Amino acid sequence: MSAPSPHDPRLEQAGATDESLLAAHEQALGKKPDDKAHYKLLPLALLFIFSGIIFYAGTYLNHYSGGYSAAVFDENGHPAAGAAPAKIDPLVLGKKNYELVCTTCHQATGLGVPGVYPPLAGSEWVNGSEERMIRIVVYGLKGPLHVKGANFGAAAMPVFGKVAGSGYNWNDEKIAAVLSYVRQEWGNKSAPITADKVAAIRAKEGDRKEWAQDELLKLP
Amino acid sequence: MRNGLIFFVGLFAALLASWAGVVLGSNAQLGRLAPYYDENEGKAFPERAPGLAARGQLVYDDLGCAACHTQQVRRPGFGNDKARGWGDRQNVARDYIHQTRVQLGASRLGPDLANVGARKPPYDAEDFLKLLYTGNGGMPAYRFLFETRAVVGQVSAKALHFTGALAPAAGRELLPTRRAEALVAYLLSLNNAYEYPEARPVEPAAAQEGTKP
Amino acid sequence: MNTASQAEVSEIDPSARCTLTLLIATALFWLVVSGVLALLNFIQAFTPTFLADCPLFTYGRLRALQETAFLYGWAANAGVAVALWLLARLGGAPQRSLNWTRAGTVFWNVGVLAGLIGIACGEGSSAAGLHLPGYIQPLLLVAFGAMAVPGVLAWTGRSRPVTFAAQWYAVAALFLFPWLFSAAQVTLLCAPVRGVLQAIAGGWFVQGLWTLWLAPLALAAAYYLLPKITGRVIPNYDFASFGFWTLLVVGGWTGGRHLVGGPVPAWVVTVAIVSCTLLLIHYLVVAINLRGAFGQPGVVLKFVGFGLAAYLLGGLADAVTAMRSVAVLTQFTWFAQAQSQLALGGAFSMIVFGAIYFLTPRITGQAWLSTPLIRAHYAAAGLGTVVLIGSLAAAGWVQGHDLANASVSFADIAVHTRPWLQTAAAAQALLVVGNALFALHFLRSVCPCNAGATTLPFRQPPTMEASAS
Repeated sequence: MSAPSPHDPRLEQAGATDESLLAAHEQALGKKPDDKAHYKLLPLALLFIFSGIIFYAGTYLNHYSGGYSAAVFDENGHPAAGAAPAKIDPLVLGKKNYELVCTTCHQATGLGVPGVYPPLAGSEWVNGSEERMIRIVVYGLKGPLHVKGANFGAAAMPVFGKVAGSGYNWNDEKIAAVLSYVRQEWGNKSAPITADKVAAIRAKEGDRKEWAQDELLKLP
Repeated sequence: MRNGLIFFVGLFAALLASWAGVVLGSNAQLGRLAPYYDENEGKAFPERAPGLAARGQLVYDDLGCAACHTQQVRRPGFGNDKARGWGDRQNVARDYIHQTRVQLGASRLGPDLANVGARKPPYDAEDFLKLLYTGNGGMPAYRFLFETRAVVGQVSAKALHFTGALAPAAGRELLPTRRAEALVAYLLSLNNAYEYPEARPVEPAAAQEGTKP
Repeated sequence: MNTASQAEVSEIDPSARCTLTLLIATALFWLVVSGVLALLNFIQAFTPTFLADCPLFTYGRLRALQETAFLYGWAANAGVAVALWLLARLGGAPQRSLNWTRAGTVFWNVGVLAGLIGIACGEGSSAAGLHLPGYIQPLLLVAFGAMAVPGVLAWTGRSRPVTFAAQWYAVAALFLFPWLFSAAQVTLLCAPVRGVLQAIAGGWFVQGLWTLWLAPLALAAAYYLLPKITGRVIPNYDFASFGFWTLLVVGGWTGGRHLVGGPVPAWVVTVAIVSCTLLLIHYLVVAINLRGAFGQPGVVLKFVGFGLAAYLLGGLADAVTAMRSVAVLTQFTWFAQAQSQLALGGAFSMIVFGAIYFLTPRITGQAWLSTPLIRAHYAAAGLGTVVLIGSLAAAGWVQGHDLANASVSFADIAVHTRPWLQTAAAAQALLVVGNALFALHFLRSVCPCNAGATTLPFRQPPTMEASAS
């Protein structure tokens, strides 16, 4: 039989037995250390390349991981930058809640209903003392009321604040927002009211019944 | 590597480490991500899509729409998704918390659909149905999502009105199937216009601190 | 047969004849099926009306079908066959419990078939790599476990205490796949994670399929075939274990590679980019170890050399395109398809083709029937793969630049990529023809009715010299 080519495509011949293959590679691993100090160039070069890759990778990781924060989606961002909540615009929040609730009585125009619901536009109460306005909205108001030269008394202002007997349980931010809104709408030009101020008054008064006009007028 | 046990433990540890780091790690961060409540709007975002839209997502999934359409807008300045009108901000994880089968997609043979329900000029359901029925240059027509049937009494309110060659024969009307309606309800529900705090662009000042090494 | 051939064709190989033939035959069947499906899919890419009225074959479903047929049909069966064979050979004992493998193979392939029908009927999902309907996946998990049993037994029960790099890779692939697969099933099917976590878990799984399963299977074959055929010790073999552990430890972290700029926290992507870069260490080690595979005579090493070149190029391409400044262009385009072709069709398939050409005569005792068919297969597969990857990359490049320019409409992009996609379809057709020839050639060559048709004897291989490196 003629010797076939070792690389006949139909039958590739093996160049080594499995046993010797395993043994030779095992021996390649257990080579003696380089006692003649002939440092081989390849391992040394590889060491440099590997270190370079790891250094580069580490630097990149350090710079672009966004502090491993769940809220950082831009690799240039920082955890603190993305964490701030959306700013509440008191006028937007106030308008929204005014339209949701207050318009029923005081109307979208802020003019109220003559004889029943007092107006807010141009009202001396709205543009007057913060102390009184906050108390009216937080605790409500009952009894007669004199606004813009007219007398009202048929309806009562409900309790809005987070106090006992409240039907709305609005938080201080919401109350401050609505108050700020009505003090700057329909030509009113009074200073906004802060939530802290509302909170302070609520803390001072605790739980109490609705206010009356006379009580309020004693306040500054 | 003679010691079999250590070898197997090593293999397993390698797999487990990447699993714990990538999947469990991100799950710990995002697994309980809550909707964002906006005081100004008095609503939580993202809003839940109607039930029909949730079923439409399954249609989107099984037809394999994600093979050509992504649903992930990249931030302005990284690619030009904004210039193509796909969305003004980058999509963030919170956009997807209500979706049962998230369809981020990996290929853009067609436009991104993350905000397709909020396109300008707005599409309505009929526009989408007509597009599905006719297809366009790059997108095939999905005729099997529609049925033609004889008009019984009045022409159905849902019937599609075409003129010319596409118009159904006299006495017949062209109706979308339930699947087509669900799919379109889903497309209309895709709207990520709300700006989450974490979706805001990074301030240039903050970006400069993290410049290249 | 003479004594020499008996020495080379030991009792180890014929014992596995029936099982391995079954595995490889089913694998080749799925390879051809997947190739045909991919061809239809490419035609749809530039002719959207093609098959548009058939709900079974929407573009998306065809993509899912061809990918599933490739991964779970061809790659799984062929990979297991090669791994079992070389573990038995290097273990030095005949395979035990092969009936487990046979039963597992039957159930696995029935499962794949049912799964493909399910995808076509709309039961599948869009998650890459996990398109199979959820109810099929537990069956596949159990079936794979059964298929892999003899491989692990061949490792633990090996007659020689020493081990070789090919064995590490093969055992790692067989052992890790069930864990990878079941972890993906739990997080995506049984108790789906919420929102974008599905994309993160899906990315982890898809990258794991490559770095922890298919790449190790291909490397196992390459590490065995090169020294086995050349008879020379692998140069710088002491680095091999370092390369092995780099792949295994770092590979799983590359999952966020496809989510650059996406709605996931920046660190997920950054970690993936860094891991792709660190994997260059692995590719460098493989290149140094297996550099002898290039330019070797003999068809087996030609296939292996081709596959290895694709593997190294693919690793480099992964590292480069993972970078954010490159990904912003190549992401979401045909370029990503080119890369996956480079890995799956270029690296995995070509190396496994080489392994099948080497092992088939040994398990059957019959040489291949026809030299021209082998050469034709090499030419078709090589040319088809190169043209396919090249044209897809070109299409991706064009598409990426067009997408980056908001004034170019999608209709224009379709026009610009069309010639490249047509080229890709032609290349895919060539691949299908080549692979179909290969499948037929395989079936005829292993058929017992052709026993003795060729009288090529096995030569007694020489002993490997230890000092060769």
